[in-house]
Amino acid sequence: MTKRLERDVIHRWEGNPFIDITDVTFRCTNMYNAGCIKKNDKYILLITIEMLDGCTSIYYAESKDGLYFDVSDKPFLSPEKDGPLKEYEEIGVLDARITFLDKSYYLVYLAESRHGILLSLAKTEDFKSVEKLGIISQPDTKAGALFPKKINGKYARLGRPNAGGSIWISYSEDLLTWGESEVVLTPRKGYWDSNHIGCAAPPIEMEQGWLVFYYGVKRTSGGTLSRIGTVILDKENPASNIVGRSNIPVLSPREPYERIGDISNMVFSCGAILEENNSIKLYYGTSDNCICLGYTTLDEIIETCMQSKRDF
Amino acid sequence: MPRKSGRDFLHRWEGNPIITIEDIPFRCNTVFNGSPVKMNGKYLLLLRVEGQQGYSFFALARSKDGFHFTVDEEPVMMPSKTGPFSKYETRGIEDPRITLIDGIYYILFTAVSNWGPRIEIAKTADFKKYERIALVSEPGNKDGVLFPEKIKGKYARLDRPIGKGIGSIWISYSDDLIHWGNHKVILTPHFGFWDSSRVGASAPPIKTKEGWLEIYHGIKTTNSGQVYKIGSTLLDLDDPSKVIARCEEPLLSPREYYEKIGDVYNVVFACGAIIEPDNEIKIYYGAADTCICVATTKLDELIQRTLKK
Repeated sequence: MTKRLERDVIHRWEGNPFIDITDVTFRCTNMYNAGCIKKNDKYILLITIEMLDGCTSIYYAESKDGLYFDVSDKPFLSPEKDGPLKEYEEIGVLDARITFLDKSYYLVYLAESRHGILLSLAKTEDFKSVEKLGIISQPDTKAGALFPKKINGKYARLGRPNAGGSIWISYSEDLLTWGESEVVLTPRKGYWDSNHIGCAAPPIEMEQGWLVFYYGVKRTSGGTLSRIGTVILDKENPASNIVGRSNIPVLSPREPYERIGDISNMVFSCGAILEENNSIKLYYGTSDNCICLGYTTLDEIIETCMQSKRDF
Repeated sequence: MPRKSGRDFLHRWEGNPIITIEDIPFRCNTVFNGSPVKMNGKYLLLLRVEGQQGYSFFALARSKDGFHFTVDEEPVMMPSKTGPFSKYETRGIEDPRITLIDGIYYILFTAVSNWGPRIEIAKTADFKKYERIALVSEPGNKDGVLFPEKIKGKYARLDRPIGKGIGSIWISYSDDLIHWGNHKVILTPHFGFWDSSRVGASAPPIKTKEGWLEIYHGIKTTNSGQVYKIGSTLLDLDDPSKVIARCEEPLLSPREYYEKIGDVYNVVFACGAIIEPDNEIKIYYGAADTCICVATTKLDELIQRTLKK
C-alpha cells in the first residue's frame, strides 16, 4: 500500500547520501554544508570539508545533472597562511553560500578562529580562481548570505549574530562596510525553531517576495535538533513584513545518516536551486558527515509558507 | 608615619563619590558611568541614570571645577518611544561615551532591547538638542568609543563584540558613521592577569605623542563574581589596530566601600577622561554601578606607566 503522505514536504532523493568522505582521494574527518549554484547548465557545489587536524576548507564539486558530482582534490578556498586574514581563519573557512550578483559569483563564508566566527566575503568569476574581499561582520556571526540583487539601491545580506539567535538583515553600498541592521526573523517559543535560527539558502526572488530556506534549532535534553523551514520576506523591505512563514519544518532529521554523526539529528542547508520548471533542489548536509539532496516544488513551498496560520 | 605607596596608580579624589542619587533632582535607582567633556571652560558629565523601573537613560551634570556637579532637573535623553530606534531601545540606553569631532559631540551608547545590546550613535552641538544618527552594530556588542579624528580619512571606533564567549576590543572603520567594516581584533583578555576574562573600551581614545591612549576595563571572574578594574594601553597613531604597549597592572581597582558595595559589587568603570592644560588627567568612573567618582594622575606619568615593561 502506498503511504498517503511523505514524512516531510521535502522529498529525499533515493541516492542519499550521495557525497561522503569516500568520494575524495584524501582522508578527512567530515564533509558537510555545501553551497550550490547552477552555472551554464552545470551544477556546482562548494563543500565544507573538515580535515583530520580539525581545520576546515572549502572544496569544489561539479555535476551535469545535479546528482552525480566530481569532487576536486584541491581546496577551492582554504585558510590564509599569511597576511591580515590569517589570524581570523586559523581554524578554518566553512559554510560558503553562493550568490550570483552583478555578473560575478560571491561567496559569504565563515572565517573561524580563537577570536570567534565571522562572515567573510569572496568573489569568483569562473570557480577556478577566487579573491577574498575581507571580513564583513563582527564576532560571532554565522549563516551569512547575500541577496542576488540590490534592494532600494543597496546591497543586502542576511546574517545570524549570536546574541538573540535571530536572522538579521544589513545593507551596504560597497559590499565591504555594512550597517542599517534590522532583525528579520526570530525563534518561536514552543516551536521546532525555538532556540535559534539562521539563513540556510541565499534568498530566492519570487513574485510574492524573497523565499528563504532557513534552519531552526530546538534544544532537547539530548542535545539539539536542527531542521529546515521556509519563509517569504517582503520584496522591498524584508525586515518590515513576513509574507508567510512555515509553521512546520519542511525537512527534519529522520534517516540514520541524518540522525547519526559528529552532530546528531541535523539537516542543514547552505543552498537551493530553483529550476526553470519551478522544481527546487535543496542540497543539505546531515549530522555534519555527508551531503544529501532533497526535492520539492516552488508551489508546494509557497503553500507551506502561506499555511502558517494553521494549527496542525 | 607616611605610607610607602598609594594603593593604586590613580589618585581618588577625596570627595568621592562625586555624584550619588541624592544629587539627582528626581527619584532614581542608581547613577553611574558618566562621560565628561569640557565645553567653554565648563565641565559637562553625561550620566547614565537607572530609573527605579529598571531601565537606564541619560541626565546631564554641570560643574565649574570638574569635581562639584549640579544635575539638570530633567533627563536629557530617554529611550525612544516612537520611530526607527524605539524597537532597539525598549530596555533603555546605557553607558554614553562622548567624542568631539569638528565642533560636533558624538555620543556612542548602548541601546538595549530584547534583541540584545547594540551600539548606537547620536550627536549634539550644544547639549540641548540631541539627534540620533544610527545603530551601528548588530546585537551582542557594547562599549563603543569613537576616535576624535579620522584615521587615514575614515572614522574609527573601538567596541566589544563577543567571539566564542570571549569579549575583546575590536576596531572598525567607516566613511559615513553608518556603514562599518574592516573589523579587526586589537586587545584580548590577558590569561592569568587581572583582565583575564573580558576587556572592553572605556574612555574614548586620547591622542598623545606616544600613541592613542585607551583607558579600558578588564574583568576577572572569581568564585564570588566579577571584579572590574581600569587599565591602559597605547595604540599606534597611524594604525590603531597595532598595540604599542599594554600596562600589565590595573590603574585602579575597586577598594573603597562605594566601589565594592552597590548594585554590582566590585566595579570601577570609566566612560571618559579630561586632559587639563597642566597635564593632569581626570578619569570619571562609575563605582559598583551605583555612583560616580573621579580619579586623577599626570598624563605623562600614565603614558610612562603604560610603556613600562
